[in-house]
Amino acid sequence: MKTYLAQRLGIAALTLFGMSLVIFVLLRLAPGDIVDILFSTGGYVNPSERVAIEKELGLDRPLWVQYLDWIRHLCVGDLGKSYRYDLPAWEIIRPLIPVTVELAVLSLIIAVLLGVPTGVISAVRQDTALDYALRVVSLAGLSMPSFWLAMVIILVLVAWIGWIPPVTYVSPWENFPLHAIQFLLPALAVGYRSSALMMRITRSALLEVMREDYIRTARAKGQSEKTVIWSHALKNAILPVVTVIGIEFAFLIGGLVVTETVFNLPGVARFLVQAISWRDYPIVQNLVMFIAVVVILSNLTVDMLYGVLDPRVRYGS
Amino acid sequence: MMRFRVAAALWAAVAVSSLATNAYAQTPKPGGHLNIMLREDLSQGFAVHETSTISTSYPSLPCFNNLVFFDQLKRTESLETLLPELAEKWSWQDNFRNLVFFLRKDVKWHDGKPFTSRDVKFTFDMLREAPEAQAKLRINPRKDWYTNIEAVEAADPHTVVFRLKRPQPSLLLMLASGYTPIYAAHVPPASYRTGCVGTGPFKVKEWRKGEYVDYVKNPDYFVKGRPYLDTLRYVVIENRGTRVSALQAGKLDVSFPGETTKTASEQLKKAVPQLVVTPVGQTVSDNIIMNVKKPPFDNPKVRLAVSYGIDRRGLIQAVHQGGAVLGASLAPKPWGVWGIAEQGLQPLPGYGKAADMKDKARKLMAEVGYTPEKPLKVEIVTRAIAVYVDMASFVINELKQVGIEATLKQVETAQWHAMATRGDYQIGANLTGLGVDDPDANFYENYACGSPRNYSQYCNETVMKMIDQQSQELNPQKRLEMLAGLQKKLEEDAARPILDWKLDYFTVWPHVHNMIPHNNIYNFGRMTDVWRDK
Repeated sequence: MKTYLAQRLGIAALTLFGMSLVIFVLLRLAPGDIVDILFSTGGYVNPSERVAIEKELGLDRPLWVQYLDWIRHLCVGDLGKSYRYDLPAWEIIRPLIPVTVELAVLSLIIAVLLGVPTGVISAVRQDTALDYALRVVSLAGLSMPSFWLAMVIILVLVAWIGWIPPVTYVSPWENFPLHAIQFLLPALAVGYRSSALMMRITRSALLEVMREDYIRTARAKGQSEKTVIWSHALKNAILPVVTVIGIEFAFLIGGLVVTETVFNLPGVARFLVQAISWRDYPIVQNLVMFIAVVVILSNLTVDMLYGVLDPRVRYGS
Repeated sequence: MMRFRVAAALWAAVAVSSLATNAYAQTPKPGGHLNIMLREDLSQGFAVHETSTISTSYPSLPCFNNLVFFDQLKRTESLETLLPELAEKWSWQDNFRNLVFFLRKDVKWHDGKPFTSRDVKFTFDMLREAPEAQAKLRINPRKDWYTNIEAVEAADPHTVVFRLKRPQPSLLLMLASGYTPIYAAHVPPASYRTGCVGTGPFKVKEWRKGEYVDYVKNPDYFVKGRPYLDTLRYVVIENRGTRVSALQAGKLDVSFPGETTKTASEQLKKAVPQLVVTPVGQTVSDNIIMNVKKPPFDNPKVRLAVSYGIDRRGLIQAVHQGGAVLGASLAPKPWGVWGIAEQGLQPLPGYGKAADMKDKARKLMAEVGYTPEKPLKVEIVTRAIAVYVDMASFVINELKQVGIEATLKQVETAQWHAMATRGDYQIGANLTGLGVDDPDANFYENYACGSPRNYSQYCNETVMKMIDQQSQELNPQKRLEMLAGLQKKLEEDAARPILDWKLDYFTVWPHVHNMIPHNNIYNFGRMTDVWRDK
């Protein structure tokens, strides 16, 4: 187990190194830099002032020096300084993380609570009217982009009841009910799409498992249908669902751009897009690295969970 | 008869009580909070002198003061609507060669230090990059506004003298722009990128990056009893649909200057009839920039053909749904002060009947060897922002009808100004906002030889003389006549054909009082007199 974990962490370190190179190079390949943006806010360009700002921000140094400098500081926990805000990058990034993590977790909870039971019902009642209805609902969820659904929610709320959730972040310590409403609506928009995916995965996995010999054996031994489904079938069908949960979580951390924008939530993805348009390299690089770490860790967690959920999977034994 | 008398007495009583109620309703009430719309985060914090974006200047206004400022309760800005702010009064001396400001003695910076003439000298030496300047701005977009200032002298702690190279009445207007606040001499200019030490009616409480800016009332503000409001919050909402929904739902009390189109305002008004919508000029124009240093636009006939070829009225209807007006290089009355009225525009290229104008454009193109069958092929550049692209798409369709086949190239904001300043383009669809509705601010910035914001690189000695002459003219009526000639000349040269002047449909909730939009989006929003009755 320890060897396996060490191997995975080694691969993770290599992946992060690769990611750091890719993001560093890609950002510099994009046309324009922070100095261009600063001048664009002034509506003109002055070559000598440009040189001075490049020097001030360290952009006049060779690229490899800039890269090594970033990595060196990253290794000691120094994320550098935002070009745009002239403040330590961590000070800017830190408040964004809990918002996005909360939204992603809440969305996943909604997805699991909606997706897994409906998947089970759909599989158990295969080819009945209920199954068809649930499949239509899930197909609709997959077809509707969550950002579109988010916009529709806002428009419907404002048109029907003249109300929308708060447009500035409300901390749970400040006003929990308002905080809950602020997160629940976007989480529903995102969770619905994810739940559709989970419903379909659960259904197909369960249908496959239900045809296994041990299910027939369990039934032959006189176990109730409830026990057969929830204790024997679902336990074995859940592995693909766990995989999807892991993938979805990783995706949601960096992929909620439009939902965060529509609901005006100050999260990682929305800020990342702003930082990209400002060519705020320290913010972009570190946010992308954060997302990469989340992806790697969620994959690792899922792999570890396999071992817990399925006794046949035991790493390093 | 008795009945009539009783009825009359009752009516009189009702009328008097109604008048009293109205008078009471209009009495400003202190206290309260306002949520104000922002469409993006402050681009350079509160460093107003280092930017030319309303996203910085508008939310910074409550923090600062100017020497003089436009009356916040009057919609149209002019020399007549100027009020002293940090100055108690001003005086032109030596035949308009010296401008003397007598400063208030009761003003304190937000950190408690006293405001003196040293701060004024510090600010303007820095802005005009004088050799004796104590600080330098990282970027200085409005240096050209102050080229006529020879020296700024702090005669005593409360008197400042601006010595001018020549008379320039417009200087006062530029000093009153939202882009001309006074910085504190004891604070490094760079620190304004992260915070704000001003003298204004509100102090910055918190700036949550990408979220909001919170202000609290400045208890030491030099105007007693002001500001009325206790707190302000400028809420950043990047999604347009969410912004409008937030205003409609009452999560915001005030819209953002230049944000509400005619269509949006009509929809808002339909949904919430009590919203107060005020149509007002923005001093922002749609225009065409043509690089006069590069073929084919080095040929005045081709430039004129472009100007003749674009149906401005069609553009106003199709792109702005009627939410813009015709005008030359200055906004026309009543939306501006100095522009040529519509009747005066008729003889100018592109302002007559669309069909006649297109004929003229085709003839000009034929003279230089191009026809609709054998068109001139060019690339038209524009910023990759919807308002630019919509206008550019319309222009492309218009030009096609006169023998110019243009393809659209969208340029990211990061590259736009660098490209335009360097002249790395042939023709572009552009928007220009003026910091103040003033001829000098416009002409020296956008048409003067060598100005970095003169994107078309148009340079004409006669025009330069005309610009200088009008700038020195002290008689307003005479100046207006000179300006009409100058504007005609610029349109006839197709220096930078103006397509329209955009209007804003500024929207507030009825409980917000004294938030009067101006005919220039950059110069209102100090919030000193704004109050709410809810």
